[in-house]
Amino acid sequence: MADAKKLAEQLKKLNELRGPVPQALRDQVAAQNKAQKAILEALGSGPKTAPELAAAAGLTHEKAIWYVAALRKYGKLADVPGKGDYPKYELKGGDAK
Amino acid sequence: MNAIEKIEVDTLVVGSGIAGLQSALDLADQGYSVAIVEKAPSIGGKMISLSKVFPTLDCASCITTPRMASVSHHPRITTLTYSTVDAIKREGKTFTAAVTRKPRYIDEKECISCKRCEEVCPVLLPDEYEVGMGAKKTISIPFTNAIPQLPVMHPEHCIRCGACARACPKDCIEFLQEPAPVEIKAKAVILATGYETTPMTAKKQYGLGKLPNVISPMAAERLLAPHGPYGRVLRPSDGMVPGSIAYVQCAGSRDKSIGIPYCSRVCCMYAIKQAILLSGSLPIADITIYYMDIRAFGKGYEQFYNNARAMGINFVKAKVARITEDEKHNPILRIERQEGTSGPEEVKHELVILSQGLVPGHDASSFGLGTQNNDFGFVKLSDEMVSSAVTAGAGVFAAGVVKGPRDIPDSVVDAGSAAMEAANYMRKL
Repeated sequence: MADAKKLAEQLKKLNELRGPVPQALRDQVAAQNKAQKAILEALGSGPKTAPELAAAAGLTHEKAIWYVAALRKYGKLADVPGKGDYPKYELKGGDAK
Repeated sequence: MNAIEKIEVDTLVVGSGIAGLQSALDLADQGYSVAIVEKAPSIGGKMISLSKVFPTLDCASCITTPRMASVSHHPRITTLTYSTVDAIKREGKTFTAAVTRKPRYIDEKECISCKRCEEVCPVLLPDEYEVGMGAKKTISIPFTNAIPQLPVMHPEHCIRCGACARACPKDCIEFLQEPAPVEIKAKAVILATGYETTPMTAKKQYGLGKLPNVISPMAAERLLAPHGPYGRVLRPSDGMVPGSIAYVQCAGSRDKSIGIPYCSRVCCMYAIKQAILLSGSLPIADITIYYMDIRAFGKGYEQFYNNARAMGINFVKAKVARITEDEKHNPILRIERQEGTSGPEEVKHELVILSQGLVPGHDASSFGLGTQNNDFGFVKLSDEMVSSAVTAGAGVFAAGVVKGPRDIPDSVVDAGSAAMEAANYMRKL
Protein backbone atom coordinates (compact mmCIF):
# COMPACT_ATOMS: atom_id res chain seq x y z
CA MET A 1 0.00 0.00 0.00
CA ALA A 2 1.18 3.48 -0.80
CA ASP A 3 2.35 5.76 1.94
CA ALA A 4 -0.56 8.26 2.27
CA LYS A 5 1.78 11.19 2.77
CA LYS A 6 3.97 10.30 -0.23
CA LEU A 7 0.86 9.82 -2.39
CA ALA A 8 -0.59 13.18 -1.34
CA GLU A 9 2.71 14.85 -2.20
CA GLN A 10 2.84 13.18 -5.62
CA LEU A 11 -0.73 14.18 -6.43
CA LYS A 12 -0.10 17.74 -5.27
CA LYS A 13 3.00 17.95 -7.45
CA LEU A 14 1.00 16.52 -10.35
CA ASN A 15 -1.65 19.22 -9.95
CA GLU A 16 1.07 21.85 -9.99
CA LEU A 17 2.62 20.39 -13.13
CA ARG A 18 -0.52 19.68 -15.12
CA GLY A 19 -3.09 22.00 -13.61
CA PRO A 20 -6.40 20.83 -12.16
CA VAL A 21 -8.27 17.83 -13.55
CA PRO A 22 -10.39 19.20 -16.44
CA GLN A 23 -14.08 19.57 -15.61
CA ALA A 24 -14.99 17.74 -18.84
CA LEU A 25 -13.11 14.67 -17.60
CA ARG A 26 -14.81 14.85 -14.19
CA ASP A 27 -18.21 15.11 -15.94
CA GLN A 28 -17.35 12.17 -18.16
CA VAL A 29 -16.46 9.98 -15.18
CA ALA A 30 -19.65 11.05 -13.36
CA ALA A 31 -21.68 10.08 -16.45
CA GLN A 32 -19.87 6.73 -16.63
CA ASN A 33 -20.62 5.99 -12.98
CA LYS A 34 -24.28 6.95 -13.44
CA ALA A 35 -24.63 4.76 -16.54
CA GLN A 36 -23.00 1.74 -14.90
CA LYS A 37 -25.12 2.12 -11.78
CA ALA A 38 -28.30 2.40 -13.87
CA ILE A 39 -27.42 -0.72 -15.87
CA LEU A 40 -26.64 -2.75 -12.75
CA GLU A 41 -29.84 -1.53 -11.06
CA ALA A 42 -31.88 -2.45 -14.14
CA LEU A 43 -30.38 -5.94 -14.03
CA GLY A 44 -31.47 -6.20 -10.40
CA SER A 45 -34.99 -6.95 -11.66
CA GLY A 46 -33.82 -9.77 -13.95
CA PRO A 47 -31.84 -10.49 -17.13
CA LYS A 48 -32.07 -7.94 -19.91
CA THR A 49 -30.82 -7.34 -23.47
CA ALA A 50 -28.59 -4.41 -24.47
CA PRO A 51 -31.51 -2.38 -25.97
CA GLU A 52 -33.59 -3.02 -22.82
CA LEU A 53 -30.68 -1.80 -20.70
CA ALA A 54 -30.31 1.23 -22.98
CA ALA A 55 -33.96 2.12 -22.40
CA ALA A 56 -33.69 1.58 -18.63
CA ALA A 57 -30.50 3.63 -18.28
CA GLY A 58 -31.35 6.35 -20.78
CA LEU A 59 -28.42 5.50 -23.05
CA THR A 60 -28.08 4.99 -26.79
CA HIS A 61 -27.98 1.32 -27.86
CA GLU A 62 -24.36 1.77 -28.88
CA LYS A 63 -23.34 3.14 -25.48
CA ALA A 64 -25.33 0.45 -23.67
CA ILE A 65 -23.52 -2.43 -25.40
CA TRP A 66 -20.19 -0.69 -24.71
CA TYR A 67 -20.98 -0.51 -20.99
CA VAL A 68 -22.17 -4.11 -21.10
CA ALA A 69 -18.79 -5.11 -22.60
CA ALA A 70 -17.00 -3.09 -19.89
CA LEU A 71 -19.04 -4.50 -16.99
CA ARG A 72 -18.68 -8.01 -18.43
CA LYS A 73 -14.89 -7.62 -18.68
CA TYR A 74 -14.62 -6.41 -15.09
CA GLY A 75 -16.80 -9.21 -13.73
CA LYS A 76 -19.99 -7.32 -12.85
CA LEU A 77 -22.33 -9.07 -15.26
CA ALA A 78 -22.51 -12.32 -17.21
CA ASP A 79 -24.09 -13.70 -20.37
CA VAL A 80 -27.37 -15.59 -20.03
CA PRO A 81 -27.31 -18.71 -22.22
CA GLY A 82 -30.11 -18.76 -24.75
CA LYS A 83 -31.21 -18.00 -28.27
CA GLY A 84 -32.64 -14.92 -29.92
CA ASP A 85 -31.42 -11.90 -31.81
CA TYR A 86 -30.42 -10.04 -28.67
CA PRO A 87 -28.54 -11.94 -25.95
CA LYS A 88 -29.49 -11.26 -22.35
CA TYR A 89 -27.20 -10.34 -19.48
CA GLU A 90 -27.53 -10.89 -15.75
CA LEU A 91 -25.77 -9.75 -12.60
CA LYS A 92 -22.78 -11.87 -11.76
CA GLY A 93 -23.02 -13.53 -8.36
CA GLY A 94 -25.36 -10.81 -7.11
CA ASP A 95 -22.45 -8.36 -7.15
CA ALA A 96 -24.13 -5.06 -8.02
CA LYS A 97 -21.88 -2.64 -6.22
CA MET B 1 17.60 13.18 -14.63
CA ASN B 2 19.08 9.68 -14.55
CA ALA B 3 22.03 8.79 -16.76
CA ILE B 4 21.10 7.53 -20.23
CA GLU B 5 20.58 3.78 -20.27
CA LYS B 6 23.05 2.25 -22.75
CA ILE B 7 22.61 -1.08 -24.49
CA GLU B 8 25.14 -2.65 -26.82
CA VAL B 9 24.06 -5.57 -28.99
CA ASP B 10 24.85 -7.19 -32.32
CA THR B 11 21.49 -6.43 -33.95
CA LEU B 12 18.69 -3.98 -33.38
CA VAL B 13 15.25 -5.19 -34.46
CA VAL B 14 12.64 -2.47 -34.87
CA GLY B 15 9.15 -3.90 -34.41
CA SER B 16 8.00 -7.02 -32.59
CA GLY B 17 5.29 -8.41 -34.81
CA ILE B 18 5.68 -11.97 -36.03
CA ALA B 19 8.50 -10.94 -38.43
CA GLY B 20 10.46 -9.02 -35.78
CA LEU B 21 10.02 -11.81 -33.20
CA GLN B 22 11.13 -14.48 -35.64
CA SER B 23 14.23 -12.62 -36.85
CA ALA B 24 15.23 -11.79 -33.26
CA LEU B 25 14.87 -15.45 -32.25
CA ASP B 26 16.75 -16.74 -35.30
CA LEU B 27 19.68 -14.42 -34.57
CA ALA B 28 19.71 -14.99 -30.82
CA ASP B 29 19.64 -18.77 -31.30
CA GLN B 30 22.77 -18.42 -33.46
CA GLY B 31 24.53 -16.66 -30.60
CA TYR B 32 24.02 -13.02 -31.58
CA SER B 33 22.73 -10.54 -29.05
CA VAL B 34 19.60 -8.66 -30.07
CA ALA B 35 17.64 -5.65 -28.84
CA ILE B 36 14.03 -5.55 -30.02
CA VAL B 37 12.15 -2.25 -29.75
CA GLU B 38 8.35 -2.11 -29.82
CA LYS B 39 6.22 1.03 -29.71
CA ALA B 40 3.18 -0.74 -28.25
CA PRO B 41 3.03 -1.78 -24.57
CA SER B 42 3.21 -5.47 -25.55
CA ILE B 43 5.21 -7.43 -28.09
CA GLY B 44 3.27 -9.52 -30.61
CA GLY B 45 2.26 -6.92 -33.21
CA LYS B 46 -0.91 -7.32 -35.21
CA MET B 47 -0.84 -11.10 -35.14
CA ILE B 48 -1.51 -11.44 -31.42
CA SER B 49 -4.89 -9.75 -31.86
CA LEU B 50 -6.04 -12.06 -34.67
CA SER B 51 -8.47 -14.92 -34.05
CA LYS B 52 -7.19 -17.64 -36.39
CA VAL B 53 -4.94 -17.87 -39.43
CA PHE B 54 -5.69 -19.03 -42.97
CA PRO B 55 -5.86 -21.61 -44.46
CA THR B 56 -5.19 -23.93 -41.53
CA LEU B 57 -7.52 -22.16 -39.08
CA ASP B 58 -4.87 -22.54 -36.40
CA CYS B 59 -5.35 -20.26 -33.41
CA ALA B 60 -3.23 -17.12 -34.05
CA SER B 61 -2.25 -16.55 -30.44
CA CYS B 62 -1.23 -20.23 -30.10
CA ILE B 63 1.41 -19.53 -32.75
CA THR B 64 2.41 -16.07 -31.52
CA THR B 65 2.52 -16.44 -27.73
CA PRO B 66 5.24 -19.14 -27.67
CA ARG B 67 7.45 -16.86 -29.80
CA MET B 68 6.61 -13.88 -27.58
CA ALA B 69 7.53 -15.86 -24.48
CA SER B 70 10.75 -17.16 -26.09
CA VAL B 71 11.81 -13.62 -27.02
CA SER B 72 10.96 -12.22 -23.63
CA HIS B 73 12.90 -14.96 -21.77
CA HIS B 74 15.80 -15.31 -24.19
CA PRO B 75 19.13 -14.62 -22.46
CA ARG B 76 20.48 -12.85 -25.56
CA ILE B 77 17.42 -10.70 -26.34
CA THR B 78 16.72 -7.37 -24.66
CA THR B 79 13.12 -6.30 -25.15
CA LEU B 80 12.05 -2.67 -24.94
CA THR B 81 8.29 -2.22 -25.12
CA TYR B 82 6.32 1.03 -25.11
CA SER B 83 9.43 2.59 -26.62
CA THR B 84 10.01 4.55 -29.78
CA VAL B 85 13.03 4.63 -32.06
CA ASP B 86 13.50 8.36 -32.56
CA ALA B 87 16.59 8.26 -34.76
CA ILE B 88 19.31 5.87 -35.89
CA LYS B 89 22.74 7.17 -36.80
CA ARG B 90 25.39 5.27 -38.66
CA GLU B 91 28.90 5.86 -37.29
CA GLY B 92 31.38 3.80 -39.27
CA LYS B 93 30.24 0.22 -38.90
CA THR B 94 28.10 0.89 -35.85
CA PHE B 95 24.51 2.05 -35.63
CA THR B 96 23.48 4.19 -32.68
CA ALA B 97 19.76 4.35 -32.05
CA ALA B 98 18.14 7.00 -29.88
CA VAL B 99 15.20 5.29 -28.20
CA THR B 100 12.67 6.71 -25.76
CA ARG B 101 11.00 4.54 -23.14
CA LYS B 102 7.58 6.10 -22.72
CA PRO B 103 6.42 6.31 -19.10
CA ARG B 104 3.96 3.65 -17.96
CA TYR B 105 3.75 5.51 -14.63
CA ILE B 106 4.67 2.39 -12.69
CA ASP B 107 7.88 0.90 -11.37
CA GLU B 108 8.33 -1.89 -13.92
CA LYS B 109 10.81 -3.78 -11.74
CA GLU B 110 8.49 -3.87 -8.73
CA CYS B 111 5.14 -4.53 -10.46
CA ILE B 112 3.80 -8.06 -9.90
CA SER B 113 1.01 -7.76 -12.52
CA CYS B 114 -1.72 -8.29 -9.91
CA LYS B 115 -4.11 -5.91 -11.77
CA ARG B 116 -5.38 -4.38 -8.51
CA CYS B 117 -4.69 -0.89 -9.89
CA GLU B 118 -6.85 -1.70 -12.91
CA GLU B 119 -9.65 -3.19 -10.80
CA VAL B 120 -10.04 -0.07 -8.66
CA CYS B 121 -9.50 2.59 -11.33
CA PRO B 122 -12.85 4.38 -11.82
CA VAL B 123 -12.30 5.70 -15.37
CA LEU B 124 -13.29 3.69 -18.46
CA LEU B 125 -11.74 4.27 -21.88
CA PRO B 126 -12.44 2.74 -25.28
CA ASP B 127 -10.01 -0.15 -25.65
CA GLU B 128 -8.02 0.23 -28.86
CA TYR B 129 -7.01 -3.45 -28.64
CA GLU B 130 -10.72 -4.26 -29.09
CA VAL B 131 -10.93 -1.59 -31.81
CA GLY B 132 -13.03 0.54 -29.44
CA MET B 133 -15.74 -2.10 -28.97
CA GLY B 134 -14.62 -2.96 -25.46
CA ALA B 135 -13.39 -0.86 -22.56
CA LYS B 136 -10.25 -0.60 -20.50
CA LYS B 137 -9.33 1.48 -17.47
CA THR B 138 -7.08 4.54 -17.37
CA ILE B 139 -4.48 2.23 -15.84
CA SER B 140 -4.63 -1.23 -17.34
CA ILE B 141 -2.67 -4.20 -18.64
CA PRO B 142 -3.10 -3.96 -22.43
CA PHE B 143 -4.68 -7.38 -22.98
CA THR B 144 -4.93 -10.85 -21.44
CA ASN B 145 -1.87 -12.40 -23.09
CA ALA B 146 0.24 -9.24 -23.33
CA ILE B 147 3.97 -9.60 -22.72
CA PRO B 148 5.13 -8.00 -20.49
CA GLN B 149 2.14 -8.12 -18.13
CA LEU B 150 2.67 -4.52 -17.05
CA PRO B 151 -0.03 -1.87 -16.83
CA VAL B 152 0.11 1.46 -18.63
CA MET B 153 -1.46 4.63 -17.26
CA HIS B 154 -2.92 7.25 -19.58
CA PRO B 155 -2.44 10.45 -17.57
CA GLU B 156 -4.67 12.54 -19.84
CA HIS B 157 -7.63 10.44 -18.63
CA CYS B 158 -6.55 10.20 -14.99
CA ILE B 159 -8.69 12.02 -12.40
CA ARG B 160 -5.84 11.70 -9.84
CA CYS B 161 -8.02 9.97 -7.27
CA GLY B 162 -5.04 7.91 -6.10
CA ALA B 163 -7.11 4.69 -5.93
CA CYS B 164 -4.52 2.75 -7.96
CA ALA B 165 -1.67 3.82 -5.68
CA ARG B 166 -3.64 2.91 -2.54
CA ALA B 167 -4.53 -0.52 -4.00
CA CYS B 168 -1.03 -1.38 -5.22
CA PRO B 169 0.54 -3.91 -2.82
CA LYS B 170 4.05 -3.08 -4.05
CA ASP B 171 3.74 0.72 -3.94
CA CYS B 172 4.86 0.98 -7.53
CA ILE B 173 2.58 3.66 -9.02
CA GLU B 174 4.75 6.60 -10.08
CA PHE B 175 2.57 9.53 -11.11
CA LEU B 176 5.60 11.69 -11.85
CA GLN B 177 7.47 9.28 -14.09
CA GLU B 178 9.06 10.82 -17.19
CA PRO B 179 10.17 9.49 -20.57
CA ALA B 180 13.57 7.81 -20.32
CA PRO B 181 16.14 7.98 -23.12
CA VAL B 182 17.98 4.81 -24.11
CA GLU B 183 20.95 4.52 -26.44
CA ILE B 184 21.32 1.28 -28.37
CA LYS B 185 24.50 0.48 -30.27
CA ALA B 186 24.30 -2.31 -32.86
CA LYS B 187 26.18 -3.67 -35.85
CA ALA B 188 23.09 -4.37 -37.95
CA VAL B 189 19.49 -3.24 -38.06
CA ILE B 190 16.42 -5.26 -39.04
CA LEU B 191 13.37 -3.19 -39.92
CA ALA B 192 10.15 -5.04 -39.11
CA THR B 193 7.74 -2.16 -38.64
CA GLY B 194 4.87 -3.95 -40.35
CA TYR B 195 1.66 -2.35 -41.50
CA GLU B 196 -1.46 -0.48 -40.66
CA THR B 197 -4.75 -1.11 -42.40
CA THR B 198 -6.15 1.63 -44.59
CA PRO B 199 -8.14 3.93 -42.30
CA MET B 200 -11.92 3.65 -41.97
CA THR B 201 -12.01 7.32 -42.92
CA ALA B 202 -10.28 6.72 -46.26
CA LYS B 203 -13.41 6.58 -48.37
CA LYS B 204 -16.34 8.91 -47.94
CA GLN B 205 -18.55 6.61 -50.04
CA TYR B 206 -18.15 3.97 -47.30
CA GLY B 207 -19.29 6.20 -44.44
CA LEU B 208 -15.95 7.58 -43.18
CA GLY B 209 -16.05 5.24 -40.20
CA LYS B 210 -19.24 6.85 -38.87
CA LEU B 211 -21.60 3.94 -39.60
CA PRO B 212 -21.49 1.81 -36.42
CA ASN B 213 -22.18 -1.47 -38.19
CA VAL B 214 -19.57 -0.96 -40.89
CA ILE B 215 -16.45 -2.27 -39.21
CA SER B 216 -12.81 -2.98 -39.94
CA PRO B 217 -11.41 -6.48 -40.46
CA MET B 218 -9.36 -6.07 -37.26
CA ALA B 219 -12.64 -5.42 -35.40
CA ALA B 220 -14.07 -8.57 -36.99
CA GLU B 221 -11.00 -10.50 -35.78
CA ARG B 222 -11.74 -9.33 -32.24
CA LEU B 223 -15.42 -10.31 -32.54
CA LEU B 224 -14.27 -13.79 -33.57
CA ALA B 225 -11.56 -14.13 -30.90
CA PRO B 226 -12.56 -16.24 -27.88
CA HIS B 227 -11.61 -13.40 -25.52
CA GLY B 228 -13.13 -10.68 -27.71
CA PRO B 229 -15.14 -7.72 -26.38
CA TYR B 230 -18.52 -9.45 -26.23
CA GLY B 231 -17.37 -13.07 -25.94
CA ARG B 232 -19.40 -13.82 -29.07
CA VAL B 233 -20.22 -12.25 -32.42
CA LEU B 234 -22.51 -9.25 -31.90
CA ARG B 235 -22.78 -6.05 -33.85
CA PRO B 236 -21.49 -2.91 -32.16
CA SER B 237 -24.52 -0.65 -32.66
CA ASP B 238 -26.87 -2.52 -30.35
CA GLY B 239 -25.47 -5.92 -29.36
CA MET B 240 -27.59 -7.85 -31.85
CA VAL B 241 -26.54 -11.22 -33.28
CA PRO B 242 -26.15 -10.31 -36.97
CA GLY B 243 -28.18 -12.48 -39.34
CA SER B 244 -26.81 -11.03 -42.55
CA ILE B 245 -23.14 -10.12 -42.92
CA ALA B 246 -21.30 -8.75 -45.93
CA TYR B 247 -17.67 -8.26 -46.85
CA VAL B 248 -16.67 -5.47 -49.21
CA GLN B 249 -13.44 -6.52 -50.89
CA CYS B 250 -10.81 -4.07 -52.14
CA ALA B 251 -12.22 -1.46 -49.73
CA GLY B 252 -8.77 0.00 -49.28
CA SER B 253 -6.71 -1.37 -52.15
CA ARG B 254 -6.74 -1.27 -55.95
CA ASP B 255 -8.24 2.16 -55.60
CA LYS B 256 -6.44 5.09 -57.18
CA SER B 257 -8.93 7.52 -55.62
CA ILE B 258 -7.36 6.91 -52.20
CA GLY B 259 -3.80 6.62 -53.51
CA ILE B 260 -3.53 2.87 -53.04
CA PRO B 261 -3.48 1.33 -56.51
CA TYR B 262 -1.86 -1.94 -55.48
CA CYS B 263 -3.50 -5.19 -54.39
CA SER B 264 -2.94 -5.84 -50.68
CA ARG B 265 -2.66 -9.56 -51.35
CA VAL B 266 -4.12 -10.93 -48.11
CA CYS B 267 -7.60 -9.38 -47.98
CA CYS B 268 -9.36 -12.07 -50.03
CA MET B 269 -7.98 -14.79 -47.82
CA TYR B 270 -8.65 -13.07 -44.48
CA ALA B 271 -12.21 -12.29 -45.61
CA ILE B 272 -12.76 -15.92 -46.61
CA LYS B 273 -11.26 -17.08 -43.30
CA GLN B 274 -13.49 -14.73 -41.30
CA ALA B 275 -16.53 -15.77 -43.35
CA ILE B 276 -15.82 -19.45 -42.59
CA LEU B 277 -15.38 -18.67 -38.88
CA LEU B 278 -18.55 -16.55 -38.84
CA SER B 279 -20.53 -19.33 -40.44
CA GLY B 280 -19.29 -21.58 -37.62
CA SER B 281 -20.28 -19.07 -34.91
CA LEU B 282 -23.55 -18.07 -36.57
CA PRO B 283 -24.75 -21.14 -38.51
CA ILE B 284 -27.95 -19.51 -39.79
CA ALA B 285 -26.40 -16.19 -40.86
CA ASP B 286 -26.22 -15.24 -44.54
CA ILE B 287 -22.67 -14.26 -45.42
CA THR B 288 -21.87 -12.51 -48.69
CA ILE B 289 -18.51 -11.47 -50.09
CA TYR B 290 -18.63 -8.71 -52.74
CA TYR B 291 -15.41 -9.04 -54.70
CA MET B 292 -13.62 -7.86 -57.84
CA ASP B 293 -11.27 -10.83 -58.20
CA ILE B 294 -10.28 -13.52 -55.73
CA ARG B 295 -6.56 -13.76 -55.02
CA ALA B 296 -5.94 -17.22 -53.56
CA PHE B 297 -2.18 -17.16 -53.95
CA GLY B 298 -0.67 -19.69 -51.58
CA LYS B 299 -0.57 -23.39 -50.96
CA GLY B 300 -4.03 -24.71 -50.17
CA TYR B 301 -5.63 -21.28 -50.61
CA GLU B 302 -7.69 -22.17 -53.69
CA GLN B 303 -9.06 -25.19 -51.84
CA PHE B 304 -9.86 -22.95 -48.87
CA TYR B 305 -11.81 -20.65 -51.18
CA ASN B 306 -13.65 -23.59 -52.75
CA ASN B 307 -14.48 -24.92 -49.28
CA ALA B 308 -15.98 -21.53 -48.37
CA ARG B 309 -18.16 -21.64 -51.49
CA ALA B 310 -19.22 -25.19 -50.69
CA MET B 311 -20.14 -24.10 -47.14
CA GLY B 312 -22.70 -21.70 -48.60
CA ILE B 313 -20.86 -18.40 -48.41
CA ASN B 314 -22.16 -16.21 -51.24
CA PHE B 315 -19.50 -14.80 -53.54
CA VAL B 316 -20.92 -11.93 -55.60
CA LYS B 317 -18.69 -10.36 -58.24
CA ALA B 318 -19.78 -6.77 -57.81
CA LYS B 319 -18.48 -3.29 -57.15
CA VAL B 320 -19.84 -1.58 -54.05
CA ALA B 321 -20.34 2.07 -54.93
CA ARG B 322 -21.70 3.39 -51.67
CA ILE B 323 -22.71 2.37 -48.17
CA THR B 324 -25.46 4.13 -46.24
CA GLU B 325 -27.66 2.93 -43.37
CA ASP B 326 -31.32 2.80 -42.38
CA GLU B 327 -32.78 4.12 -39.12
CA LYS B 328 -31.79 0.91 -37.29
CA HIS B 329 -28.16 1.28 -38.42
CA ASN B 330 -28.50 -1.61 -40.91
CA PRO B 331 -25.93 -0.90 -43.63
CA ILE B 332 -27.33 -0.54 -47.16
CA LEU B 333 -24.92 -1.38 -49.97
CA ARG B 334 -25.40 0.08 -53.43
CA ILE B 335 -23.85 -2.50 -55.70
CA GLU B 336 -23.41 -3.16 -59.38
CA ARG B 337 -22.94 -6.77 -60.37
CA GLN B 338 -20.05 -7.44 -62.72
CA GLU B 339 -21.68 -10.54 -64.17
CA GLY B 340 -24.99 -10.33 -66.02
CA THR B 341 -26.59 -7.15 -67.24
CA SER B 342 -28.58 -5.90 -64.29
CA GLY B 343 -28.28 -2.27 -63.20
CA PRO B 344 -27.30 -0.95 -59.77
CA GLU B 345 -29.22 -2.38 -56.82
CA GLU B 346 -29.40 -1.76 -53.09
CA VAL B 347 -28.91 -4.60 -50.63
CA LYS B 348 -29.44 -4.41 -46.89
CA HIS B 349 -27.22 -6.28 -44.42
CA GLU B 350 -26.94 -6.16 -40.62
CA LEU B 351 -23.15 -6.00 -40.38
CA VAL B 352 -20.58 -5.05 -43.00
CA ILE B 353 -16.83 -5.57 -42.89
CA LEU B 354 -14.62 -3.43 -45.12
CA SER B 355 -11.72 -5.54 -46.36
CA GLN B 356 -9.13 -2.85 -45.89
CA GLY B 357 -5.75 -2.97 -47.51
CA LEU B 358 -2.31 -2.78 -45.95
CA VAL B 359 -0.24 0.41 -45.84
CA PRO B 360 3.24 0.88 -44.33
CA GLY B 361 3.29 1.00 -40.52
CA HIS B 362 6.20 3.43 -40.49
CA ASP B 363 8.18 5.42 -43.04
CA ALA B 364 11.44 3.50 -42.73
CA SER B 365 13.31 6.08 -44.83
CA SER B 366 12.78 8.55 -41.95
CA PHE B 367 15.52 6.74 -40.00
CA GLY B 368 18.06 8.06 -42.54
CA LEU B 369 19.78 4.71 -42.93
CA GLY B 370 20.09 4.88 -46.70
CA THR B 371 17.10 2.62 -47.33
CA GLN B 372 14.74 3.60 -50.09
CA ASN B 373 11.00 3.32 -50.33
CA ASN B 374 9.07 2.03 -53.32
CA ASP B 375 6.29 4.08 -54.89
CA PHE B 376 3.88 3.04 -52.13
CA GLY B 377 6.06 3.77 -49.09
CA PHE B 378 7.24 0.20 -48.41
CA VAL B 379 10.96 -0.50 -48.10
CA LYS B 380 12.57 -1.22 -51.45
CA LEU B 381 14.92 -4.18 -51.69
CA SER B 382 18.28 -3.86 -53.44
CA ASP B 383 17.55 -6.76 -55.75
CA GLU B 384 14.50 -8.90 -55.11
CA MET B 385 15.86 -11.68 -57.32
CA VAL B 386 18.97 -12.02 -55.16
CA SER B 387 17.70 -11.45 -51.62
CA SER B 388 14.38 -10.88 -49.94
CA ALA B 389 15.94 -8.88 -47.10
CA VAL B 390 18.86 -6.73 -48.30
CA THR B 391 18.06 -3.01 -48.60
CA ALA B 392 20.07 -0.18 -50.12
CA GLY B 393 21.42 0.71 -46.65
CA ALA B 394 24.50 -1.35 -45.72
CA GLY B 395 23.75 -3.42 -42.64
CA VAL B 396 20.04 -2.64 -42.80
CA PHE B 397 17.68 -5.52 -43.54
CA ALA B 398 13.91 -5.75 -43.89
CA ALA B 399 11.54 -8.43 -42.59
CA GLY B 400 7.82 -8.91 -43.13
CA VAL B 401 5.22 -6.45 -44.37
CA VAL B 402 7.65 -3.50 -44.13
CA LYS B 403 8.60 -4.58 -47.70
CA GLY B 404 5.03 -4.82 -48.96
CA PRO B 405 1.85 -6.77 -48.26
CA ARG B 406 2.37 -10.46 -47.53
CA ASP B 407 0.79 -13.13 -45.38
CA ILE B 408 2.00 -14.64 -42.12
CA PRO B 409 3.88 -17.67 -43.53
CA ASP B 410 5.71 -15.39 -45.99
CA SER B 411 6.54 -12.93 -43.20
CA VAL B 412 8.00 -15.72 -41.08
CA VAL B 413 10.11 -17.03 -43.98
CA ASP B 414 11.24 -13.46 -44.72
CA ALA B 415 12.21 -12.96 -41.10
CA GLY B 416 14.49 -16.00 -41.33
CA SER B 417 16.02 -14.56 -44.48
CA ALA B 418 16.60 -11.16 -42.81
CA ALA B 419 18.25 -12.88 -39.82
CA MET B 420 20.51 -14.91 -42.12
CA GLU B 421 21.51 -11.85 -44.16
CA ALA B 422 22.20 -9.88 -40.96
CA ALA B 423 24.31 -12.75 -39.57
CA ASN B 424 26.31 -12.94 -42.83
CA TYR B 425 26.84 -9.20 -42.79
CA MET B 426 28.03 -9.16 -39.17
CA ARG B 427 30.36 -12.12 -39.72
CA LYS B 428 32.17 -10.15 -42.44
CA LEU B 429 32.62 -6.99 -40.36
